[in-house]
Amino acid sequence: MLRRNIRPALSLFLLLPGLALLFIPGCAGDGSSSDAEPDKITVLLDWTPNTNYSGMYAALEQGFYTEENLAVEFIQAPGSVIQIVSGGKAEFGVSYQEEVTFARLAGYPVVSIAAVLQHNTSGFASLKDKNITTPADFSGKTYGGWGSPVEEATIKALMEKDGADYSTVTIATTGEVDSLIVIEQEADFAWIYYGWTGVEAELKGMELNFIQLRDIDPALDYYTPVLVAGEALIEENPELIQRFMRATARGYRFAAENPAAAAEALLANAPELDRELVMASQEWLKDKYQDDAPRWGLQERERWESYTQWLFERGLIEEMIDVDKAFTNRFLE
Amino acid sequence: MKKWANTAKRSLPGALAVLAVLLLWEALCRVADVAVSKLPPPSAVILSLYHNASLLAEHSRATLAAVAAGLSLSVLVALALAVFMDRHSWLKQALYPLLIISQTIPIIALAPLFLIWFGLGLTSKIVVVALVCFFPMAINLVEGLEQVDPETINLLKVMQAGPAMIFRSAQLPAVLPYFFSGLKIAATYSVMGAVIGEWLAARWGLGVFMLRSMRSYQTANTFAAILVVVVLSLLLFKLTELAAWLAMPWHRHKSVYPEE
Repeated sequence: MLRRNIRPALSLFLLLPGLALLFIPGCAGDGSSSDAEPDKITVLLDWTPNTNYSGMYAALEQGFYTEENLAVEFIQAPGSVIQIVSGGKAEFGVSYQEEVTFARLAGYPVVSIAAVLQHNTSGFASLKDKNITTPADFSGKTYGGWGSPVEEATIKALMEKDGADYSTVTIATTGEVDSLIVIEQEADFAWIYYGWTGVEAELKGMELNFIQLRDIDPALDYYTPVLVAGEALIEENPELIQRFMRATARGYRFAAENPAAAAEALLANAPELDRELVMASQEWLKDKYQDDAPRWGLQERERWESYTQWLFERGLIEEMIDVDKAFTNRFLE
Repeated sequence: MKKWANTAKRSLPGALAVLAVLLLWEALCRVADVAVSKLPPPSAVILSLYHNASLLAEHSRATLAAVAAGLSLSVLVALALAVFMDRHSWLKQALYPLLIISQTIPIIALAPLFLIWFGLGLTSKIVVVALVCFFPMAINLVEGLEQVDPETINLLKVMQAGPAMIFRSAQLPAVLPYFFSGLKIAATYSVMGAVIGEWLAARWGLGVFMLRSMRSYQTANTFAAILVVVVLSLLLFKLTELAAWLAMPWHRHKSVYPEE
């Protein structure tokens, strides 16, 4: 009597793992090649896919990675790139100079191996009718952002340069909230990357004032974003990095020359994105990858040095890092 | 027939309430002329659902894989642990506080570490789901086993029944209602658990879809993904109810589809 009732319950235990098996092969089984086994590498993205990464997606779609016998997988991992790359669970990642600096001080052995964009395209945006055209105009206004020490120090430094009083600025923590909504209702100005958020504002017909960091202080022309690799990989398998970087550099040159195709490559790998924004952003960004550098990706010691110095002088880092260990151009031959 | 009519009658207020909220929401968006990027009206969400159907289906598949595996894992671990805890009271005393502590851990803070411990693939998502689902399962099972009539167990022991026999014929039937109420809670949370895991690092999954649409300012798409999460969670809940109904014929009048 009891036993009869129990059977269906027992079969349930078997049913659930069975269900799991049903789904798993479909997800794990992405195409694998039959001939010369390509080297599988993982690239971690520090944000959701966007036009900063287009060169890599172009290299993927154009077969540049395949030519180097690489099977590249991109995974968005905002917030954990450094830990995972230095832990060796992924070969490459996207980061930025400030993060690399803090990471190295914290003992994470990551190295910047290329500057994706030659110059810092970020800055402070506000609605046109607020009339914030210089850092002095921040006085008495509210800033919306993450409220991190570096943000505060940056605002302070810019204002002091203009002879304004930082203490009159209110800092509001708005975190993940869309910056364009933040400057419309929660705050007066926010820190944005023009190539994405600024372009989105243009598409929406919002009129912005934009104060680009590097126009105010050359020390703030730090590298963002950069590609990083772990010291262990550089030590053990420089040849793999060489191949990855050769194809990646080709991809970024391709993206600069064929923005529409690069945008398509990005969209093919992230169809969730807004096509109009991707196209417009790509057009805006195409000359910014290499910009005035002799080759795509090159980093200057001076720029690393001066931003590290800047961070140190403001007490944001307690000691200087050895910048020669923090970045390298050796994979950009 | 009467049963179905009853069921329909009872779900009517719920359906009407949902409909009323949706209509009010739509009206509010239209009257107040709210920007779609701030609060998309239900119509925009439905439209986005339609346009992204195949993409959402693909992302859902990845999420469901993590859900199915994580939920199964949590059920198996919770069951094994509960049985051991029931057999040895010192183990129960030792582990019960740990069980509760496991639930108080803010997963969102720990999940980035899971990526490092368990890799970037499906495993780390499975672990997050399992951790979310484990607690309601374990607590309910422990409690259920406590309710087994000791007299019955003594009687079976007198009749020379081994532990396996006792479990099958006395403990399991008694614990099933608790098992299913735990599973209902776990199943409902499981999709959210998977989304948290995907939010942190993934190639596929509803969490990936949400984050990408959010970051490219497509709020209606984000809401569409939320809707999919809600529907999947509800389906899992209903599936659990159905399984409970099938597995416990003697319990039907008590929990599901009461006939008054």
